[in-house]
Amino acid sequence: MIGNAGPESDRVIMSVRNLSVDYGAIRALKGVSLDVRRGEIAAVIGANGAGKSTLMAAIMGDARRSGGQILLDGTPLPERSYQVVSAGVSLSPEGRKLFAPLTVRENLEIGAFPLKNRGEMSEQMSRVYSLFPRLEERASQYAGTLSGGEQQMLAIGRALMARPRVLLLDEPSLGLAPIIITEIFKELDAINKTLGMTILIVEQNARKALMLSHRAYVLQTGVITMEGSSKDLLGNPEIEEAYLGGRKRQNT
Amino acid sequence: MSSLIQQVINGLSLGSVYALIAVGYSLVYSVLLFSNFAHGGFLVIGGYICYYSLLKGGANIWVASLAALLGAGISAMAVERMAYKPIRERTPITLYMLIASMGMSIVIENIFVVTIGGRFRALPPVIPMQTVNVFGVASTSASDLLSLVTAVVFLVGLQLFLSKTKWGLAIRAASYSLRTAGLMGVNVNLLISLVFFVAGLLAAIGGIFLSARYSLYPQLGVITTKAFVAAVIGGLGSLPGAVVGSLILGLAEMLAAGFLSSQFRDLIVFGLLIITLIVRPTGLFGKSVGEKV
Repeated sequence: MIGNAGPESDRVIMSVRNLSVDYGAIRALKGVSLDVRRGEIAAVIGANGAGKSTLMAAIMGDARRSGGQILLDGTPLPERSYQVVSAGVSLSPEGRKLFAPLTVRENLEIGAFPLKNRGEMSEQMSRVYSLFPRLEERASQYAGTLSGGEQQMLAIGRALMARPRVLLLDEPSLGLAPIIITEIFKELDAINKTLGMTILIVEQNARKALMLSHRAYVLQTGVITMEGSSKDLLGNPEIEEAYLGGRKRQNT
Repeated sequence: MSSLIQQVINGLSLGSVYALIAVGYSLVYSVLLFSNFAHGGFLVIGGYICYYSLLKGGANIWVASLAALLGAGISAMAVERMAYKPIRERTPITLYMLIASMGMSIVIENIFVVTIGGRFRALPPVIPMQTVNVFGVASTSASDLLSLVTAVVFLVGLQLFLSKTKWGLAIRAASYSLRTAGLMGVNVNLLISLVFFVAGLLAAIGGIFLSARYSLYPQLGVITTKAFVAAVIGGLGSLPGAVVGSLILGLAEMLAAGFLSSQFRDLIVFGLLIITLIVRPTGLFGKSVGEKV
């Protein structure tokens, strides 16, 4: 599915090594290690409170790492958010976190904050608009007035504005109707295929995430308990039982 | 009629000075969500820098004002680095910063009391005070007109900065969510320093005009209370609100002083505050955030 040039290590673009995060006395991540390969979609699935968002926050420098290392193309990722974005990792956060009183265009512009000049920004903006034509139609509308699906598109578009090497997505399906989720995931697949964008997605909606991604990790109370190709995990009875709603539903 | 026009001009002039103070205060509030009670200190710092540059440095008013603006801006950044940054990096609870700001306000005031004494000083007559005839219908002092014009220039400049520049956009984004702005690649510490610099700079302009109009003393910063009230009436955190609230307050004060008695000034000010808090607690332009969930 993915090009098989070079040995395994060449294909890894982002590598999380033994990452731990503490919230006071609570250890939210206990030595998590995972790899994201160039051009792939990697997924982390897990229940509420498994530490998925903490993982994202730790990569983005939004939660303090208490141990471990994150490498991007072999060099350590900085610890402060703005440096992480400049280094080439950007996030579409959980709950979208749009700037509601700013317009759609302004939301995209702020996403382009690390870019050098306006030329680069408008180039990237037209790229995002061609992915999400609906955003262009609503460019001067306030972000807070968009529908849920459009808001999610804007959150993804805003993250793309920084021209990331790795795009992080935190729960893009959150609070959306199933038909909208299908639409969003179709877009994500297109972003991966047409732009060659490397994506790391964390999702509670395990079925959708496994169907979209190439490889996946299962995160359980701060520990990676399983990993493998998404196809294998989809067929795994344990996963079926715990995350895909048991055997009763036969619609895989 | 002419006295009404005169009082309106005076009111707008006073209100515009409040606006310079209130806008900076509101800007800090909108980004860090706490009332910076040391804000009045920046005004006093600006006033004294202007005073000493004129008197001891032999500078003209332009150089002295520039020094005052930069000095107050840099002091504001320094106060943030020393007193607020260590707190905001440890806890999201903004109450601690509010308490620290009360402390910083006392510190700044007393630095002046200890070093140069608490007596009242008059700014040398560098700002024209003569009476000006306004379109033949009223007369007012040149300094009132000058402060009105200066305030308008700086407020328009601020508005342009916020709406047209990259960092202006970042500040508007941060005033909605500082954390998310950080996730977008904005260096939040730099942004906060910038906000404090702008707030200090605007306060210094207010400080110069106030010390020209009244006199300069370490407790001059207390006048910031009026700007706080104006910001609350306009809606905390809202910049148009701070401006409108300040103008309303300035007008109310001057009209009360002109047609009732100047003893009514503060009564009217705090009366307006109480009415606002009862009728519309979020202020005139209070944030009623409309976001679909």
